[in-house]
Formats: sequence, structure tokens, C-alpha cells
Amino acid sequence: MAPLSPYTYIQCPCSDAPSQARPSETPTRDIAADQDDDDRTFDPRAPRSNYSLYPLEYLLYCEDCHQIRCPRCVAEEIVTYYCPSCLFEVPSSNLKSEGNRCTRSCFQCPVCIGPLQVTSLETPPDPNLLAADNTSSGPSGPYILACAYCHWSSIEIGIKFDKPNGIYSQLQKLRNGGQTRLTAKERKDRRKEAMSTGSFASTHPSNPGSDDVLDVESQFENLRTFYSHQLSESTSAAPGLSMSDLGISSPSSLARLMNYYNVGSLDPSKKGLGNSRGRARLGTFREALDTEEGLQLAQLDESASISAFKASTLSDLTTTSQRLSQAESHLSNLVSPALHGSSRLTSTLRPIPVLLRTKRSKRCPVCRHIISKPEPKVASTRFRIRLVAGSYIPAVSIRPLRVPGVTPPPPPDGLLRPLVPAQYLLTFTNPLFEPVKVTLATPSTTPGRFASKVTVLCPQFEIDANTDVWDEALKSGSSETSRRRDEGSKAGGVAEVGKIWERGRNWVSIVVEVVPALIKTEGGEELKEDEDVLEIPMFIRIEWEADATGAEVGAAPGTGKEVREKRELAYWSALGIGRIGSLGQLG
Amino acid sequence: MFAGEQAELGKPSDTMSSSATTAKRTSTVPPASAGPKPPVSFSSSVTIAELAVLTGTYPVAIGSETVIHPRARLESLGGSITIGRRCIIHERTKIGYMGTEGKVVLDEDDRAVVLGDYVTVEVGAVVEASGTIIGEGTVVGVGSRVGRGAVIGKYCTIAPQSEVPAGVTIPDHTVVYGENKQRTDRRGVAASMMKAQAQQITNLRTKIPSNPAKFQ
Repeated sequence: MAPLSPYTYIQCPCSDAPSQARPSETPTRDIAADQDDDDRTFDPRAPRSNYSLYPLEYLLYCEDCHQIRCPRCVAEEIVTYYCPSCLFEVPSSNLKSEGNRCTRSCFQCPVCIGPLQVTSLETPPDPNLLAADNTSSGPSGPYILACAYCHWSSIEIGIKFDKPNGIYSQLQKLRNGGQTRLTAKERKDRRKEAMSTGSFASTHPSNPGSDDVLDVESQFENLRTFYSHQLSESTSAAPGLSMSDLGISSPSSLARLMNYYNVGSLDPSKKGLGNSRGRARLGTFREALDTEEGLQLAQLDESASISAFKASTLSDLTTTSQRLSQAESHLSNLVSPALHGSSRLTSTLRPIPVLLRTKRSKRCPVCRHIISKPEPKVASTRFRIRLVAGSYIPAVSIRPLRVPGVTPPPPPDGLLRPLVPAQYLLTFTNPLFEPVKVTLATPSTTPGRFASKVTVLCPQFEIDANTDVWDEALKSGSSETSRRRDEGSKAGGVAEVGKIWERGRNWVSIVVEVVPALIKTEGGEELKEDEDVLEIPMFIRIEWEADATGAEVGAAPGTGKEVREKRELAYWSALGIGRIGSLGQLG
Repeated sequence: MFAGEQAELGKPSDTMSSSATTAKRTSTVPPASAGPKPPVSFSSSVTIAELAVLTGTYPVAIGSETVIHPRARLESLGGSITIGRRCIIHERTKIGYMGTEGKVVLDEDDRAVVLGDYVTVEVGAVVEASGTIIGEGTVVGVGSRVGRGAVIGKYCTIAPQSEVPAGVTIPDHTVVYGENKQRTDRRGVAASMMKAQAQQITNLRTKIPSNPAKFQ
């Protein structure tokens, strides 16, 4: 079993709020529960605790509520959207119209998801052979997208580009294989041309199968124009209901559309009415009949793909992850063929546009003040506001106490010996510029099936302010600091009750003694996950005096006296000490 | 006492070849003393850096215009090493390495490693011994490993940090990437890559001082 390095997790108060914790219970029970709450010790092993314990580095602090905030309770707001590949900021209006992917030239390889580079197909001219006169011209087209890692290139799907920039829009117009995709307007023009030349039969509505296959976007566009046309026609046929100006996307139009399908209602009371209304309007409302109107016949003949499979080898087939990444980018990658399933052969893969990323600011959920705000500029990694908990509450570090000559050498496997007392040093480091009073409380035994005994030798102490390092160094000779140094019990070499172990500029270490429980399972009972980890719930309460914040700023100069106010912060934390070994393991 | 003396006596003869290389910077690893000096047959146009390491008892043959970077390590302890024309062997590569899966014992007439023409072995790559063959124009990427007895075809690419398992045969124009994934390279750029390789070799020849005499 791997030994465990000690850790400190801090509980965010958001999980403790009574309003959130028990919304369904009656008020009378709530009062009882509240009283109960005060006595209750925090159980780090409770299933709920999984969601409220965080390392100090993950936590933020609201200066207005004077409370810890965790990633789960803060409200996030998106500051900017940007492409991680070209670091180009995308305005949110573009996001709505163009989707959440980069619309410039940033693509990922569909085979290995490596970044794709735009390269010229033309080999660079050999400098030995060319004279100096025409070397100024750079590489010229056609261009391709190439992956430097797996050597995939867009030639494999038959796509080349004329320009090295704006690849996204160029790719939208190209099908795999290099044919251009027709826009709706071009399609209409072509159809008109065909009508005038007399090849009417091939595009006649009664023969829709002969028409070419539409991609998803064109089909949707065609269907939409068809239905909005139908809607306006039917409303003009039925006077009194002028909805032609509402358009297809309005909810009333949708209700009306649904009415047409509601002919066979199951409700007998409405049956007659529905039928008569349905019959009256059915004549004016028909379905799409050909490709131009958005009808797309399912291609049930799969002999083409079967023969393609026969001709291909295993390496020509796509993997599940490749298909998934294709499907994810489908919305912004509309030219890909509309399949029942997904891309099955690597020849149907398309480059994946790079997914955009966001920068987010975080707000306190209670007072709505911003507690973290990154610089909106994409290239900058700075923060404008960032109130991390690490600069407000003391950091706790844990290490085993080793006094040369007194403590026995640690077991080589790093496990705790059951029933053998072990001492650990907790070092509290004060990040504040004011001295802080710390009060600790732990249950005498850890919660859970295996109760280990815990004794904090010095539960109440004071930590000096986080002063300037140089100030401290210059006045190190003063009597006050030397007195403070003497106060620790380290000099004696034995941890004493009620005395801190050691004191530094802005830190204090104290001793915690644990007697690990004997891990013994009865019968065929299995040990639950991490049940043999000795984890101490510790209530930490800190008190300090700070400059009063807020409206007193104007009054302060007049009185000439600094307004001090007392602050207090209390929270639960879980200290992971180590894994307890079994008796047999340790011999 | 006696044993110590013998160790001291044995030392100078071992380190004799290496003492010349410690001009600028001394490495903690003893350079050439790790093994015997192999018989070599170099083409006259080979560029081989003085700090390249050749050890072993079997012959090492290097074709014309091939470049061996400093600190490349060629081990012919179990069999002969043959390197073709216009190859580039980069720094900290191990050609003919015997060890990742325990020592291998080769037969008397075994060839440890055969590299075709225009092969590039990039920085830190390992090509293990035991009849390993790498075909013409193949690139073995940075930090990758070619297992013992693997036969790699022509114009293949072993992507950086990937691994070719021992004993496999890889067809021509294959890209090995990721976690032992393979695909076929359809770019058809073999000719231009060979041209680029030749260009790079002419550049490297001006930058790497060659000292084939040291190994002969």
C-alpha cells in the first residue's frame, strides 16, 4: 500500500448553510437541528464532505462577507471567449451566429487531434538552383492542412485551399474529394438553368430520388423556407388570423403548426372540433415533396459503403474517439455528409475546428462582489482581482515530529503503527499583516469505524504578523523576539502540554499526538476505500484586529485615531496524517 | 591490498582512449572506457564527431556522407552494425542497445542493427539490437524506441515518444504514432525528403568537426 503524504483540506461554509442543507424539513425540526449543529463534529468521511473539502489553494475569500468561498459556490461569469490556438478573441455576438469553434484557420487533426498547419503544396525553390532575382516571392498555393505528428494531410480527403488564410470559410464550401458545395442560391440558379434547357424530368418533384444529396445545413434551410412559405399561404387563405408577419419562429406559429398534426386527438370532447379544423386546413397545407423543399430521402442502399468497406483495411476505418470528435464539431462543420451513423472511413473525416476557451470572473454568491477577475486581454495571464483564501487564512502544514535520540526511527513503509502514539508537528503560517489568535478544537477520537485518539497539546496560541522580512531581520536582537523564541518547548526536546513547539516570524508550530486505531475487520468484511487513513477533523477559529473597512474613511483623519475592528473566522478542516498499517504488516 | 593494486593497474589501459576527449568538460560518465573498441569500416566521406561513442567487438560499417552527432552511442556488443548512406544519427541515441528487456545473446553471425540509406535517428531514440532493420528514408522520432528484432519498412515515420514493439514488421510508408497506432503515409514526399536530408547533411558537415581517425 502506498504511503500517504499528509494533507490539509478546508471545508467551505457553503455546504453548511442551513437554508441549503435542509430545505424540506419543518421549522420546528430545524431549530432542533440547529442546536444539534453546534455540538456536531464535522465528519470528513461523510459522503457530503467529498463535495465541500478543498485544498487551501483552491479556495477564494470574500472580503465583504469575510467568508471562504469554494469553486462550487462561486458564481462564474464569462469575461472573454478566445481561440487557444491563435489567441484571437471572439466577440460573444459572433459566438451566437458562428458557434463555439474558431472560425479562422485553426484546426485539429481528425486522426490524432494534433494541431494542423497550413502548408504550401509547392516545394520551396532550391536556393542553389535559383538566381537572386526571383527569390522574393513566397510560397504560393495550393495550400493544405497538414499534421506534423501523424503526417495526415487534407490531401487524403481531397481538399486543397487557394488561400493560406480563412481556411474555415474555404472548408465550408468544399466537400471531401474537392467538389465545391452549392449554396442555396447557386442551387436555385442551376435549377432554373436546367428548366430552361429542357431537362425537366430529372428535377421534377415526382422524381425526388434523382436529385443530389443535400447536406444538413442546406436541407434545414430548404425546409425552413418551405414551411414559412406554407404558413404564410395558409394564413392568407384563412382571413382573420393574420400571422404572416409573425414568421416561423414565433411560438403562436408553432402552436398553429402543431394544430395541423393534431387531427386524431385522443380527447373525445375535442375530437369533432379538431377534425373539422384539421380538414378545413389540410388542403392548404402540404409536406415537402422534393429536394428543393427540403425532402431528403433516406439512402437505404448501402451497397456503396459496403463495397468501400470491402476495399478498405482496418487502418482505413475510424476509431470511436475519432467519430466522437467529428460528431462534436458537427454543428460548425456542416459540410460533412449527413449520415445515419457517423464517419466510418478515414476518408470521410474532416479537420476539427479548434474549440474556443473562456476566461471567467468569479462572484461571491451572497454579496455579489467580484472575488476573481482575469485580465480580459487574451495574451495576458494576470488577474485584476484575485482574492485567494491563502492570503487570509493560515496555511497548515503537517510533518512527523522527529527529535533525535527521543523518537524512534520511522517505519520504512511510511505507515502509522496501530496503538503506538505518534507525534506530529502542525505549522500554522499567518499571511495577514496583523497578529492572529488561533483556537483549535478536535474531537478526542476520530469519527468512523476505527476511532483513533487525538490530542492537541496546545489548542490556543497566537501567531505574529506577517511583517516585512527585512524589518524582522533588523530587529532580531530585540528582547521581545528572543522572549517569544524561548516560549517554545523545542528547546526542551519534549513536547509539553499547553506550550507551542516553535515560533518563527509569522508561524507557529504545535504538536498533535495521535494514537492510531487498530484496523481490524471481522469476518469477511471488506475495508472501505481509504478507511485506514487517519484523518482528523479540526475546527479552526482565528481572531484578529483589522482596520475597519467601509465608510469610515472620511471620518478617520478628523479623529486622528485608527478605527480597529475585531474579526473572526471559523471553519472546519480535515487533516490527513497518514495510513495506518496492520499489526501483521509491522510484525 | 593486492586486489586494489590490480584495479589501479588495470585502469590506465582502459581509460587511455578517453583521456584525449576530456579537453573542455569532464563528464561523470566514463566515456569510451565502457567497452572495447570495435573494428570499423568507414566510408571516406563520413562525418563522425569525436565525442560519439562506439563500443563492442563486432564490426561497425558506416556508409558515405552519413553524419554521426556527438554523444551518439553505437554498441556492437552482440553483432555488427551497418549504417547506410546519408543517414543522420543525432545526439544521445543508442544504436544496438542491448538492455531494456534484459541482455540479449546474439548468434555468431547475427547482425545487430541495419539502417538503410537516408535514415534519421532523432535525439534520444533507442534502436535495440538483434537483427533490427530500418528501411530507407525512415525517421525514428525524438525519444522513441525501436524494439529488438523489429523490421521497419521504407519511408516510415516513428513519431516522437512512440514505441515499436520487439519483433514486429512494419510495412513501407507507415506512421507509428500515439499508443502503438499505425497509419499509412499518403503524402508521397519521399523524394523531397531525401533531397532535404542531403541538404541538411551538407550543412551539418560544416558544423560538426569530424574525426574518423579516432575510431579506426
